[in-house]
Amino acid sequence: MPHTLTELVAGAVPIVVEETRGYWEGTLAEELRIQRCNSCGHRQMPWGPCCARCLSQDLGFQLASGRGTVFSFTTVRQAIHPDFSAQVPYIVADIQLEEGPVITSNVTDVAPEDVSIGMSVQMWFDKELEDAFHVKLRLPKFKPSEA
Amino acid sequence: MPGYTFHHMTLPGKTAIAGVGSTAFGKLPGRSAWSLQTEAVKRALDDAGLEKEDVDGLLTAPPLSEPLLLHAEQLGGKLGLRANYLSQKFIGGATAVALVAEAAMAVQAGLCEVAVCVYGENAKTGLPMLFGRVQMGRGQAASDDIAYGLAGGPIMEARAARRYMNEFGVTEEMLGSVAVAFREHASRNPGATYRDSLTIEQYLENRYVSEPLRVLDCTIGASDGAVAVIVTSAERARDLAKPPAYIAGVGVAANLQGLSDPDHYTSYPGARSSQTAYRMAGLEPTDVDVAQFYDCFTSTVLITIEDYGFCKRGDAGHFAADGNLRLGGSLPSNTSGGMLSEANLVGWNVLAEGIRQIRGESTSQVDGAEVGIVAGQGGFHAAHSTLLLTREAR
Repeated sequence: MPHTLTELVAGAVPIVVEETRGYWEGTLAEELRIQRCNSCGHRQMPWGPCCARCLSQDLGFQLASGRGTVFSFTTVRQAIHPDFSAQVPYIVADIQLEEGPVITSNVTDVAPEDVSIGMSVQMWFDKELEDAFHVKLRLPKFKPSEA
Repeated sequence: MPGYTFHHMTLPGKTAIAGVGSTAFGKLPGRSAWSLQTEAVKRALDDAGLEKEDVDGLLTAPPLSEPLLLHAEQLGGKLGLRANYLSQKFIGGATAVALVAEAAMAVQAGLCEVAVCVYGENAKTGLPMLFGRVQMGRGQAASDDIAYGLAGGPIMEARAARRYMNEFGVTEEMLGSVAVAFREHASRNPGATYRDSLTIEQYLENRYVSEPLRVLDCTIGASDGAVAVIVTSAERARDLAKPPAYIAGVGVAANLQGLSDPDHYTSYPGARSSQTAYRMAGLEPTDVDVAQFYDCFTSTVLITIEDYGFCKRGDAGHFAADGNLRLGGSLPSNTSGGMLSEANLVGWNVLAEGIRQIRGESTSQVDGAEVGIVAGQGGFHAAHSTLLLTREAR
C-alpha cells in the first residue's frame, strides 16, 4: 500500500487498476497491447472500461507492431513535476501507431532538434517499475527507427 | 455543423448580468479562498444595488487548490443564504461561462430570480492548484501520462500547439503577437499582475517551458482572487443600479474523444459552442465588437479565433500579427490583459472584463461596444463554453 497520500496522488508511476491491468501485464512481456472491442472491432488507446464506439464491455486486445510515427511532440525545458527535474530536456510525444491509435510516450536516443512530426519511430521497453501497490510494469518508449 | 433549430427559443435577451464583483488579484497573503469568495459576492451585490435577501440562487465553482465536493453548500452557509436553486460545476476553464449559462437557464425556467455565480481561489499564497490523480482519478490516461513527464498544462498544450503550427505555418512571432497585444492592454489596467511593456523582441528572448511554448505563452501560474456575477431576468436587471449586459446567446460543447480524434489538436469544441451561441442570438462573427478569449496559452487564442469564425482555419496567426487583437484593431481582445497578463482566475477575470466592456467600464474600452463574446475552455480541448453579451436587449 502507498505510504502517504502524496505518494498515491502525486507519484509519477501509473497505478494499475482493473481497466488497465491487462495492458500493464503485457508490458512485462514486452508487448504493447491495443485494446480491441470483441463486438465491433473498434481499437482504442488508452484502455477503458467499455468500447467508446459501441459501449460493449466485451473487450480484448491485439498486439502492436511497435512501429509508428511522431504525430506531435514537445521538448520539455522546465519540468513541472519534481521527479523529472533531472531529466530536462526530454521529449514528450504522441505516437501514431502503425495500427492507427495514438499513444503518449517519450522519444529517446535522439537530440531534440532532430525530432520532427512524421518521423518514424520504433518501440522499446524501459526498466521495470513498481506502482504504489507494488504491481510491476514497464513503460513503452520510442526511439528513431533504424534506416 | 449540427442543424440546431430553436423553434421554442426562450433564452436570448430574457436574462442579463446585473452585477459583477471582483476582489484584488495577485498575491493576497492571509486571505482564505472563502474570504475572497464572500468579498466578491458582496461587491457584486453592491454593484447591482441588491441586498443579500434578494439572492435566491447560488452557483459555484470549487477552488482548484481545494476541490471540495460540497463547496456550494458550504459557501451558501457562510453567506447565510436561503436558496431556491443551488449548483456546483467544474468543467475546467469552461466553468465560468457555463455556470452563467446555467444561471440564465435557471432564471428563465423560473427556478430562481437572482442567481449569484462565484469562484475564488488563494492558490498563489495558499495551497497550490491540484491536478492529476486528485482530479482525474487513479488509472486514468491523463494521470498515467505523468509517467512520461507529461505533468503540467504547458506540456499538455505544447503538443497541440506544435501540431497546429506545423499544419498551418504559424510562427513563434505570431504566437508572441498575442502576448504582446494582451500585455499592452494590461499596462492600462492598474489591477493587472504584469504591466511592464513587452516587445516581440523581448518575447523571442524569453525562455521555453515546453517547446514551442515560452513562459510568456502561458497563463500566469496562479493568482489569489475571486469574481462573482449576478444573473437575473432582463426585466429586473433594467431596474437595478448598472446597465444590464444582456445574455444574448450561450453554448457549451465538448469533444471527449481525446487523442483518438486527430482534430483535437487544431480545432476545439468552441467551433460548436460558438455556433450554438450565434444561432441563439441571431448574431454573426462580424457583429462582435470585442472578444475575451480563454487565454491559458497564446496558441489557444489563435485556435479559438478560427473556431469562432473570425478568420479562416490557419489564418489566425497572421490576423494576430497584423494587430487585429489590439485596442483599435478589428477585434480588440482580452482588454484587461487576460490570463496571460492580468490574473489567472481560470477564466473568471476574463468573464468580468467581458461584462465591463458592455457597460463601458474597461480600462481599455472599445468605443460603442454593443456585442461582446466571452470564451471558456476546459480540460485541454475537451470542453468549451461561449457567451454572447449585448448592450441592447435582442
